[in-house]
Amino acid sequence: MEETALSFEQILNATVRLLRTTWQASACLFLQADDDGQIRVRASDGVDAAVAKSLALKPNDPLLTQCMTKNEIVESKALSAKDNLARALGMNSLKGMKYVLVPVSGQARVLGVLVLGPFPKDREIMSRESELRSAGALCAVLSAHWRLYEWISNFLPQVNHELRTPLTAIQGSIGMVLGGVFGQVGGEVKAMLEMAHKGCERTVRAIEDYLTNQELPKK
Amino acid sequence: MRVLIAEDDPDIQVILRMVLTRLGKCDVQITFEGNEVLPLAQANKPGLILLDVMLPGMSGFEICKALKADESTKHIPVIFLTARSLPAELQQAMEMGAAGYLAKPFDPMTLVGQINALLSPLGASIGS
Repeated sequence: MEETALSFEQILNATVRLLRTTWQASACLFLQADDDGQIRVRASDGVDAAVAKSLALKPNDPLLTQCMTKNEIVESKALSAKDNLARALGMNSLKGMKYVLVPVSGQARVLGVLVLGPFPKDREIMSRESELRSAGALCAVLSAHWRLYEWISNFLPQVNHELRTPLTAIQGSIGMVLGGVFGQVGGEVKAMLEMAHKGCERTVRAIEDYLTNQELPKK
Repeated sequence: MRVLIAEDDPDIQVILRMVLTRLGKCDVQITFEGNEVLPLAQANKPGLILLDVMLPGMSGFEICKALKADESTKHIPVIFLTARSLPAELQQAMEMGAAGYLAKPFDPMTLVGQINALLSPLGASIGS
């Protein structure tokens, strides 16, 4: 069957493109707050890196902090005439323009922000709060799935490794005793060791079935 | 044959040493540090290197790449001992010039035979 599945990255970029078009904005970026507190551009729909850089707010930015800690939609002040963003967007000036930060909220915390803009300062955006929050929620769902996928992708091989390593020692040492490397064993001792060895083999098969041979769909 | 083993788990080190010395009749040198493999191989010229994939300092794949790029060590057969055994990783190992790979957990009583099966195309063997 032909591979048609989109990656999480493609889906998230298509989503920000859709939002950009819907809101008639030149740029729409999804900035994600990583576990270490850093903010990074997770989706920008191929918008020039300079745009992303201009809008990639620092973790201590007051607007970003307000948006993320209070879970509020916030508007920027009017941008200055020589804003880097204007150059990145190929516009002469963004004087009097603004952008909007929308919290991308998960169930327990704010995962990041959606940056939409630039808009003319007098354009009414904040009255459409429910639409903006829905846009943020959409990105939150996609982002949460993406993070879960990444977590599982790392978790399965790691558990696989952590189980196989001690099993190598257990099965290997029992195998050598049963193999007569240290002299012959017999009777009940041999029967008990064989039982333990079979238990190891059974565990290895379980690891193969549940961890090693689990193929995740492509990102 | 002199065998260099790079393995960071002390229990598996014991088992490998025992198998390779008793059953494989090899002189065994073991390191748990990835960064030490290339200098040890350059200095001691082992006939075989057994490499764990996940090692502190350098990954097994990085080590294999370095060994194969070095004139004095590129001819030494490298066999990976891996507990990860992801198909893409194993493919990567083979493309780097590894002689093969053995998945953990391995059966110590057949390990020498498995190693010899991988060394056979190269005209080498252990245990005799």
